[in-house]
Amino acid sequence: MNLQIVMLLGQDGLTNGAIYALLALSILLVFTVTRILLIPQGEFVSFAALTMAAMQGGTPVRLGWLLLALALGGVVMDLYAAYRPGGRRRFAARALVMPVYAAVLAAATTLLPLDGIGAAAQAALTVALIVPLGLTLYRVFYQPIAGAHSLVLLIVSIAVHVVLVGVGLLMFGPEGARTEPFSDSGLQLGSVMLNSQTLWVVAVSLLLIVALYLFFGKSLYGKALRAAAVNRLGAELVGISPELAGKASFALAALIGSLSGILIAPITTIYFDSGFIISLKGFVGAIIGGLASYPLAALGALFIGQAESFSTFWASSYKEVIVFTLILPVLLWRSVSHKGAEDEE
Amino acid sequence: MFAKNLAVSLLLGAFMAGGASTQALAQVKIGVVSSSTGPIALVGIPQKNSVPLLPTSVAGQTIQYIPLDDGSDPTATVSAFKKLITEDKVDAIIGPSGSPNAMGVIQFVAEAGVPMLAPVGTAAVVLPMTEQKKWVFKTTQNDDLIAAALIDHMAKTGIKTVGFIGTADPYGDNWLKVFGEGAAKRNIKLVGSERFQRQDTSLTAQGLKILSAAPDAVLIAAPGSSSVLPQITLYDQGYRGKIYQTHGAALPDFLKLGGKKVEGTILAASLMLVLDQVSDSHPSKKAATDYVAAYEKLNGSKPATFGANVFDAGLLLERAIPVALKGGEPGSPAFRSALRDALEQVKELPATQGVYNLTAADHSGFDERGRELITVSGGKWALVK
Amino acid sequence: MTMAKLSNTARILLALVPVLAALPLVLPTYQITLANNIGIFSLATLGLILLTGVGGMTSFGQAAFVGIGAYTTAYFAVGVDLPPVLAWLGGSPWSGLLVGLALTLAVAALLGALTLRLSGHYLPLGTIAWGLSLSYLFGNLEFLGGHTGLSGMPALSLFGIALDRAEGLFYLIWAVLLVAVLVTLNLLDSREGRAIRALRGGQRMSESMGVNSFRAKMTAFLVAAAFASVAGWLYAYTQRFVSPAPFSLQAGIDFMFMALIGGVGHVWGAVIGATAVTVLKQGLQDWLPHLLGRTGNFESIVFGLLIVALMQWAPGGIAGWLAGRLGSHRRRNAPAVPAAADPLPRRTLPKPGELVLEVQRVTRKFGGLTANNNISFTVKAGEILGVIGPNGAGKSTLFNQLSRVDTPTSGEIRFRGHAINGLTARDMAGAGLSRTFQHVKLLPTMTVLENVAIGAHRRGTKGVVAAALRLDRDEEARLLAEARRQLIRVGLGDLLHVEAGSLALGQQRILEIARALCSDPCLLLLDEPAAGLRHLEKQALATLLETLRDEGMAILLVEHDMDFVMGLVDRVFVMEFGQRIAEGLPETIQTNPAVLEAYLGGVE
Repeated sequence: MNLQIVMLLGQDGLTNGAIYALLALSILLVFTVTRILLIPQGEFVSFAALTMAAMQGGTPVRLGWLLLALALGGVVMDLYAAYRPGGRRRFAARALVMPVYAAVLAAATTLLPLDGIGAAAQAALTVALIVPLGLTLYRVFYQPIAGAHSLVLLIVSIAVHVVLVGVGLLMFGPEGARTEPFSDSGLQLGSVMLNSQTLWVVAVSLLLIVALYLFFGKSLYGKALRAAAVNRLGAELVGISPELAGKASFALAALIGSLSGILIAPITTIYFDSGFIISLKGFVGAIIGGLASYPLAALGALFIGQAESFSTFWASSYKEVIVFTLILPVLLWRSVSHKGAEDEE
Repeated sequence: MFAKNLAVSLLLGAFMAGGASTQALAQVKIGVVSSSTGPIALVGIPQKNSVPLLPTSVAGQTIQYIPLDDGSDPTATVSAFKKLITEDKVDAIIGPSGSPNAMGVIQFVAEAGVPMLAPVGTAAVVLPMTEQKKWVFKTTQNDDLIAAALIDHMAKTGIKTVGFIGTADPYGDNWLKVFGEGAAKRNIKLVGSERFQRQDTSLTAQGLKILSAAPDAVLIAAPGSSSVLPQITLYDQGYRGKIYQTHGAALPDFLKLGGKKVEGTILAASLMLVLDQVSDSHPSKKAATDYVAAYEKLNGSKPATFGANVFDAGLLLERAIPVALKGGEPGSPAFRSALRDALEQVKELPATQGVYNLTAADHSGFDERGRELITVSGGKWALVK
Repeated sequence: MTMAKLSNTARILLALVPVLAALPLVLPTYQITLANNIGIFSLATLGLILLTGVGGMTSFGQAAFVGIGAYTTAYFAVGVDLPPVLAWLGGSPWSGLLVGLALTLAVAALLGALTLRLSGHYLPLGTIAWGLSLSYLFGNLEFLGGHTGLSGMPALSLFGIALDRAEGLFYLIWAVLLVAVLVTLNLLDSREGRAIRALRGGQRMSESMGVNSFRAKMTAFLVAAAFASVAGWLYAYTQRFVSPAPFSLQAGIDFMFMALIGGVGHVWGAVIGATAVTVLKQGLQDWLPHLLGRTGNFESIVFGLLIVALMQWAPGGIAGWLAGRLGSHRRRNAPAVPAAADPLPRRTLPKPGELVLEVQRVTRKFGGLTANNNISFTVKAGEILGVIGPNGAGKSTLFNQLSRVDTPTSGEIRFRGHAINGLTARDMAGAGLSRTFQHVKLLPTMTVLENVAIGAHRRGTKGVVAAALRLDRDEEARLLAEARRQLIRVGLGDLLHVEAGSLALGQQRILEIARALCSDPCLLLLDEPAAGLRHLEKQALATLLETLRDEGMAILLVEHDMDFVMGLVDRVFVMEFGQRIAEGLPETIQTNPAVLEAYLGGVE
């Protein structure tokens, strides 16, 4: 192994690690606000990548219909909540905004030719589809059990993941897809050619991490979101209901997931079921961060990226065995140094 | 409370059994088990989509197909086979999609005496021939047949060292074994073997490892679109040696995903990719052309070869059933046994993948007509002349 | 024996056995194949119920243990590539079972030692990590057939009986499963079982009662792994082929689904869940094409949606839902407590007046906050010392240090003449210190009697194997008799078999005293025992404490109720802001100006 190989492996680990870091941050974000471990986070990534690829390939974009179905499901649940015995018997018209939005988007993505509108417009459209998806997922699947035991939340998360993978297979088919790179250029750095896509990934990740930090650390809305996790009543007093906090955090997670998907789609092949293994590594990062610290979670995710890259070089058939065994001592160390925080449940 | 629950589940079970047996009465029943969900759905879906194209009547007998999905899970495959055998009393089974899934059911079809036509890659389902494997027929080219064509081309073009990148699954396992053995005989050295998971997002490390061994050529053995990423990675890393692919890459998506980076790839596969270029005298041309056209009409896209393997199983049955009818009534053990014997006697059957010549010793039955050496030229498949 | 005298379990088993015995005679082979799978899945899920439902440890690695059992079985059954050293083991199903069990337990002990110390969400992730590692390992090991798997297993034959057909295997599988259910129920109804049941939400309490929580975790983990391993043995002989896919993380998740759907808090939930999932998956494949008019891949979507719906409507799973509907009008089965059981041996108590506890210049700082500052006092046998002080005076911090839940920053604590630095809460329980908690810590779904019996944990010795085989009944009877004796003593003798969570708060505090007494202590730490008690109950409590004092017990009492304290204790120790402000006889303390100042803010 020479220096050049080390550099290249490092760059590879950094690219993957940056994506894992983004996912770790959104997982952490959702967890701190709602106590939900968002297993379907990976599906935001794969759905975004595959939707973008479908637009570029001129194949039908069906994600809008899923969104519409979920939005209608949400309305039905709202109606049920309002008019069941003891309900408030009030149904705000703005609850219909989402289905109308979804219907318009579904119709537009089905009818309009999307392969010629340019990568930026395609990316924007993808984000516009995925972000409300996160929001409606929360409404339909999680909101009714927001106060449940963490094991129940975990199982529901896994079940939602199973559903989404099934839907993904229906929408996108079993074969993988990739998209056009943003640009073909690269940056020569000494003897190493830095891929431009790598730079994109790292730059956007950094930007998002800083933005998240500012949002949660400085802005009133971000602080209130964090507060909603700790003190529901207090958050409600300043106008943030747990439902709103949940929806907002899911929408943010979906936004980050869709950006991650758009970023990696040109450098790898994404399948309908790629999401799980990617988000699993994001999870590892988040857990290394103690499910509390954003910077540590990002560092943990970068560590996983590097561990993966180098262990693959060392023995590619044993990559997963090595990476996941390496995690154990790290977890043990985190758990011991973090004792008491989650002691008695 | 448990007894009540058990009673409910028994009722459910009985209902299920009833539901299955009320299906239309057909004279010949064929079960089809594919993995149309789960990790190997990319193999199973074209197979499932080919079921409506299978022959529906032979020699005055209607054929009923009963498709089941095993979700890529070998345990579910066994359950599905047992269901087809004991509930539906099928005369033969086409499937399953995965090699481990197929290995797991051989003994059960042998015990029940039901012929099984397996569209799977691994030669281990029919080789070495045993008393149990007598009931298994394999409708894909054995990997060594494809490998021989590639190795032949390597030897002819003076390639001495080869690196191997394969998926960490039965497909990659088998190819590594077959290719390693074949290459050694022709004095071609395997200088590196790297493995990856289908869903891996980066193969940089594998590429670097191969690159540092500097082989004359690289063989990539991966099913479906997972065959693309290793090649693109090698290209981006500056590798300009020859790249060989297996018949796993023989699907339209390979060109779509690979673009100009897969130009010049050599692969050996059935003639399906280059139908317009093979001469009309090729015995398989008509069957393949008809199949591709019918599949495209039904599903709106060209099939991967996995689907054609199921279609070929239908052609084999079409040839064998008239013979077997002399041995017994459909639904009887005598018929199934006769069907097995008749399958073993199939000679010179032109199918979409090549020409079948089955014998008691060879239950795959392909020869050189079951493979073409193909390259990618100008973004299109082209026969290597 | 009449039906009324039988336990629920025995009744269920009596109803079940003839039904099961008749099944292979009436059901077609395919249904029996499904029933076999259900049995095997139930066995693996049963382990999860014990681990996750009872012990509160979420594990996604159960499938990997099934894999170790299955692969070992297949490896020895095929027996072709065995190294010469192991050749004599080849071919026999028993070697597969026993070596598989040994190997699974060894791996589980190693992984358990590494991951069971993980808390919160670290644990499930840890199990995912090693579950993935193991399943990828199966595919990479050449001698296990790589990704293609191991084939060519002979059919199972036990004691000369060939079990090559589904019907034969059915009897074996379900017999094993019923034995496992019985073993689990026996285990849960025992001393070790109570320790496992206390893991979920009661670890700090049970440690203070002398229970080794880690040992209890490991016990549950190993039993679960053993069930998984046996399930793997059965699986290998049912399929006669093993490959990596059935032992992947996906399968581990499926077992968790079964446990949650069946009802993670109920032993029979394993069977219900495995049945529901298997029947549902088959049913969906049969029905959906008819419903939707096309063969699609909707099964997994509908399956996932149904799980979400079930969790939204019945988070306790099917068994929990059934128990909720049936349980309200059905009394718990009361285990008979023979009154005549030999009493447990008692420790030699210190003589009245002997120094039991010495606290010397103890200081405890949390960062910049000094919770206890230079505290010193002593307690003698046959004496009640009252510790009083306003909220936030540092009384609970002091208690935690005395019972070794917390460690002083400086200073020394001596118990019966020995320094207690370095001892655990468990050791203190063993040495004769027992306590109650300011915020009541009991296990609400266990009966009053069972809760109190946890206190006597260290006075028994029988382990898991004895419990599973019911060889512990004699000792168990003595433990329960002791628990009952203490409950009668504190006045809860009529409530032995009700759920502890249904008691009034005051009664729960009294229960804690009975539990503490059950450990045969010589020093009792009581944290606000009279809070929430009615007047008559307080009088009864005072009488009880006086009796205990007269028997030679040393008692340290934190209490807010001044009338209660002043009428009962021998001496009073007053704290404020972590400092001692006064100490002495009740009469002198009541007129101490500093105390009045602290309590009443000087306003009189």
